[in-house]
Amino acid sequence: MRNFVQTAGAVSVLALASTGATPAIAEGTSAGTTITNTATVDYEINGIAQTQETGSGSFTVDRKINVTVVRLDTTPTSVTPGESDVVTTFTVTNLSNDTVDFDLAVAQSSSDDFDLTNVRIFLDDGATPGTFDGSDTQITFLDEIAEDATITVFIVGDVPLAQTDGQTADVILTADAHEAGTAGALGAEYTASVGADTAGVETVLADGAGATDLAGEGDFSALDTYDVSAAALTVLKSSLVVSDPINGTTNPKAIPNATVQYCIAVQNAADAATAQAVTVTDTLPADVTYDADFGIFVDGTYDGTGGTCNTDGVGGGSFATGTVTAPLSDIPASTTRTVYFRVTIN
Amino acid sequence: MNLKFIIPALVAGFVVFAAPATAVSGNDALELAGDVKLVKAETDGEGNVTQTLVDPATVVPGDQLIFSTRFNNPTDQTIANFVLTNPLPSAVMLSPMADPALDVSIDGGQTWGRLSELMIEAEGAVMRPATHRDVTHIRWKLDAVAPQESGTLEYPAIVR
Repeated sequence: MRNFVQTAGAVSVLALASTGATPAIAEGTSAGTTITNTATVDYEINGIAQTQETGSGSFTVDRKINVTVVRLDTTPTSVTPGESDVVTTFTVTNLSNDTVDFDLAVAQSSSDDFDLTNVRIFLDDGATPGTFDGSDTQITFLDEIAEDATITVFIVGDVPLAQTDGQTADVILTADAHEAGTAGALGAEYTASVGADTAGVETVLADGAGATDLAGEGDFSALDTYDVSAAALTVLKSSLVVSDPINGTTNPKAIPNATVQYCIAVQNAADAATAQAVTVTDTLPADVTYDADFGIFVDGTYDGTGGTCNTDGVGGGSFATGTVTAPLSDIPASTTRTVYFRVTIN
Repeated sequence: MNLKFIIPALVAGFVVFAAPATAVSGNDALELAGDVKLVKAETDGEGNVTQTLVDPATVVPGDQLIFSTRFNNPTDQTIANFVLTNPLPSAVMLSPMADPALDVSIDGGQTWGRLSELMIEAEGAVMRPATHRDVTHIRWKLDAVAPQESGTLEYPAIVR
């Protein structure tokens, strides 16, 4: 008996064996699909046409569980101390070849600066897609997610008031594949089928490793960050003798009846949040008298080199019962605003 | 006791009628056997990939399969114009590692050619080169299969 093998492989099965890359598959054949290969042979014997069919037998495509979780925010979410309902946004994509439920869990990192309080998960099903708009639904799992479907979810929490500028909080969202089938209820967690193949649908866990999970566990995790941006104000106070009754304005000395200008500078640090509603109050010593003729100037600039206020402020503030009260405009990051006024030494 | 005689009589009658029918159709002239194997890749500690063919136990999208048809001519007669036509199951696509010289169809078996020569209509009535994903049928032609000759025809596929 003479045998030969004609293959459709590039050269042979040996050539096939040397290239191992599995091509990326955009979509997957659904679990439970039966594959049957049937070939037809036409041939002639003694000039009489014949036809025969042959099948390879059938087998069932098994369930491949795969999921990814992706952080959608391109930068950390900027929050302020005490802020409520601060949001990070994630997508969960079902790369399995079956409809799946996903149990959702939020973990807070132990290696960051603080934890959020009142942490909740919301499904992005509100009036404004992609935005946590108050009409989204709070959830603990994703229900009946179809093959290749991508769902957007929000992690929402509150920032404790005690947090300071520059502190960060990391949150990790994990989506764990569970059995679908019952709408409105989370099914049993998927585990890899063990033992010999059966005629039914087996489960293979084909997920990769995420932020805190390992590959092949049926889950995936991603990390996102909240970044506290608080105003970080520094107040500098200086005084300058402007004139005295003996020397005038030339090298004046701090003697009785001399005029002294007080300069109060309020600096906001780089990268800090804009400080709003800043009011400077300064109670004057008993041995000086407020100079009502000069008045009070606010929102001027500061001469950092000389440590003095530039005389470019605008009139503002008020004086009452020995105290100067001077509201300032908003102070953005890396900005200094000043208050200056004059007194006479008694 | 009568039963013993009745049953052999029925069996004999069936064989008598079946045997001439088989001889006329000639369907026993060729022996065919279909098979499918899963390509299992294993990576050793040094990163070398070795692949073996195993029975398709657990099969998921992305897996590579080898479909094969083994034929045998047990007769003393030469089989002529042997054409094996194999529609691809809808859940698999032809593997990019398939022989480029393979005779394939992308339109359900109406027209045939090498994949590199076939064009398919894309969106907007534009023609584009066909890809492995578009292949619907594979065909092998053998001019003759000699008496007692056997062989295997196979193609690699990937579960979509």
